[in-house]
Amino acid sequence: MIPATEKVKINKKDVAKLLGEWSGEFTVLVPSRDEGVVKWARWDGEDASFLDWYRNTIVPPKAIFLPPMEEMFGFQKDKASYRIELPVSSERKQLIFGIRPCDAKALAILDMNFSDAYEDPYYLAKRKRGVLIGLGCANPYDSCFCTSLDSSPNDATNVDVMLTDIGDEFLVEVITNQGRELVAKTSLVQVAAETDEVRAEEAKEAAYGRVARKIDTGSIKEKLLSCFEDKDYWEEVAAKCISCGICTFLCPTCYCFDISDELVKNQGERFRSWDSCAFPLYTKMPMENPRQQKWRRLRQKVCHKYGFYPINFEVIACTGCGRCIRLCPVNWDITQILGNLPTKEQLTPEKC
Amino acid sequence: MNHKEMEKKLRREARALLEQGKVGYIIGFEAGSLKFTTTPLITSDTGDISRLVVNPFIANNLSVYLAGVKGRVGIVVKGCDSRSIVSLLQDNKIAREDIVILGVPCSGLIDLGKVEELVGKERDELDDIARDGDRVVVTDNGNNSEFPIHEVLYDNCLGCEFPTPQEYDILLGEPTLPAGDRYQAVSLMKIKQLKDMPAQQRWEFWRNEFDRCIRCYACRNICPACFCQRCFVEESEPQWLLPVPRWQDNLMFQVIRNIHVAGRCTDCGGCERACPVNIPLRSLTREMYGIIAELFHYKPGMDKDTAPFLAAYEATDTEDFVR
Repeated sequence: MIPATEKVKINKKDVAKLLGEWSGEFTVLVPSRDEGVVKWARWDGEDASFLDWYRNTIVPPKAIFLPPMEEMFGFQKDKASYRIELPVSSERKQLIFGIRPCDAKALAILDMNFSDAYEDPYYLAKRKRGVLIGLGCANPYDSCFCTSLDSSPNDATNVDVMLTDIGDEFLVEVITNQGRELVAKTSLVQVAAETDEVRAEEAKEAAYGRVARKIDTGSIKEKLLSCFEDKDYWEEVAAKCISCGICTFLCPTCYCFDISDELVKNQGERFRSWDSCAFPLYTKMPMENPRQQKWRRLRQKVCHKYGFYPINFEVIACTGCGRCIRLCPVNWDITQILGNLPTKEQLTPEKC
Repeated sequence: MNHKEMEKKLRREARALLEQGKVGYIIGFEAGSLKFTTTPLITSDTGDISRLVVNPFIANNLSVYLAGVKGRVGIVVKGCDSRSIVSLLQDNKIAREDIVILGVPCSGLIDLGKVEELVGKERDELDDIARDGDRVVVTDNGNNSEFPIHEVLYDNCLGCEFPTPQEYDILLGEPTLPAGDRYQAVSLMKIKQLKDMPAQQRWEFWRNEFDRCIRCYACRNICPACFCQRCFVEESEPQWLLPVPRWQDNLMFQVIRNIHVAGRCTDCGGCERACPVNIPLRSLTREMYGIIAELFHYKPGMDKDTAPFLAAYEATDTEDFVR
C-alpha cells in the first residue's frame, strides 16, 4: 500500500492491467477510433495502444453525460390518462480514462448550468457516477488555446487523478479523495523518485510552451457587450458561417437540447437531443426563434460563451479545446474574432 | 499555369472588378488559420484583395454563398463549383448578370486525411505539403516523402470529368485536361467495395456509419444544391423525421437529401469533407450521379439554358407516367 500523500508513478506497460483492475468496479471508457473518428468508447479489454496516437477526441466527453440523444421517459395512454415509465438507469460507475484538462474543465462548467436554479437529474446522476482520470497533453493541436483561459495542458483542477507523461511512465497525482481510494487500491504503482517529479515538471513546462494560439481574455466581456449592437461587424464576421451545428454540438461546454415526443398508437417516448443556437429552428417549438438572421445566431454563440456565461457564473464557457476551429468546414475561427473585436472608436453608428 | 501565376491574375482581376464597380463583393479563398487550410474570403474591400489565394487546398464550393450576398458578386470557382453555379442558374436561384465568374482550371485538391494516413501524423505536425506535377511532396521533420497524386488527392478530384469551369467570365489559367479514365477506378473504389458487398453486410456498414451521425447538418448547409428555405427535416407539421440522431433517422435524412440533390449534385465532395464524423457521404451522392448519367444521360450543371433535371421530361420517354 502506498501512502496517500506520496507521489506515485505507473509504467505505461501496466496501464492495460490497471484498466483491467478498474473494469471490475467501473465501466471504463477510453479514447477509441471508429472509422478514423476518435470518440469515447468502452475499453475493449485488450491493451492501451490508444496511448500511442491519442491527442483528443472529436466527440467531447460531454456526450457521456449529456448524450446526443437520450430517452427521458416512456409513456402509455391509459384511457383518459398517461402512464409514465422512467428509463432504467445503470447504477454502475463510469471511469473516463485519459480525459484532457480542457474537457474536464468543460464538465465543471456544465455542472454550473445543470445544478443551478433547476437541477437536471439526467445529467447529474451520470456525473455522480463518473470518475475522471486526467491525462496531460504532451502534443496540443495548433488550434488549442487553453492557456488563454486560466487553464493549461496539465491543469489537474477538475479530475480525480492526473497523469503526466514522463517517458516510459506516467507520474500519478492524486487530486480528490475518490482518486486517492482508486490509487490506494492498486499495486501497479510505485513511489515516484524526486527525478520523476523533475521530469514531470519539465514535461509540463514544455507542453505549456507548445500551446501557440493565444487570445487576450482580459476585458473580453466588456468588449463584446460594447459591440453587441454593431450589426455591420457581426454581419461581416458571420458572412462565411454556414450555420451548421458542428461548433456547438462538438463544443465541450455547449449544452442546449431539444425535446421531442414519438408517439406510435398509444405509446411512445420522450427524447431529448442536442440542439444548436446556430439553427434557424432553435426555440421554434415554444415560441419563435428571435434570431432569424445568421449573424444574430452567431453573435449569440460568441456572446453566450464569453459574455453571458461570465455574467451568470463568473467563468468563460470556453476551455480553448479548439474543436470549433479544427472541425469547422469553413475554418471560422473564434480566436480571430475575439482578437479583432472593434474598439469603441471603431463601432459603426448603425445599430440593429 | 501554376497556382502562383493564377493567384496573381486573380488578384489583378478581382481588384479591377471592385475598383471599376463591376461587382460589390468578391468571394474567394484566403489562407486559413490552420496549416494547409483555406477559408472563404467574402469582401468588398480592395485592401483585402492581396489575401486571395489559389492553392491545392481551396476546398470549399463557394457557390453556396451566392444566395446570401446582395448585389453583383465576383466568385472564384473550380470546375465542380462552376457546375453548381450553372445548376443554381437552371433553378432560377441566381441571375447570371449578377455574377462574374473567376474560373480556376483545377488540378485537384489534396486530401489531408489521406496524407495523414500515409505519413502517420496529423496535419499540424507536418512541415509542408506541396504539389509537384503528378506528385505531392510531404515534408516531415526536414525529411521529404513523395506520393503519386492518386494516393493523396480527394476521390472526387481523381474522377473529375470537368476540371476546367464550364461557365466563366475570366479564366485564370490554361484549361486543365481531364485525367479521363486514368484514376476512375481509385475514385470509385469505395463505391465498388460497397456494391460488391452482400446486401446484409452493406446494410450493416451504413448502420454503423449513420450511428456516428450527430445531425449537425454540415453536409446540407455546405451544399449549394441544398437551397431549400426550410429543409423537410425541419418541418414539424407533419414531422417527417425526429431531430433525434438515431441511426435510422440519420440514414433516412441522408437518403432523402440525396434524392433532393439528384441532378444538382456535381460531385464536388463538399458534404463528405464537411462531415465531422467521417461518414463517406460521397459514396451515396456519386452513385446517384452515376445512375442519373446512365439512365437519363444527364450531367448536372453543364448547360444553364436547359431545364433542371427533375423539372424536365420528353414526350418520347419510354415511361408512361411522364406523358
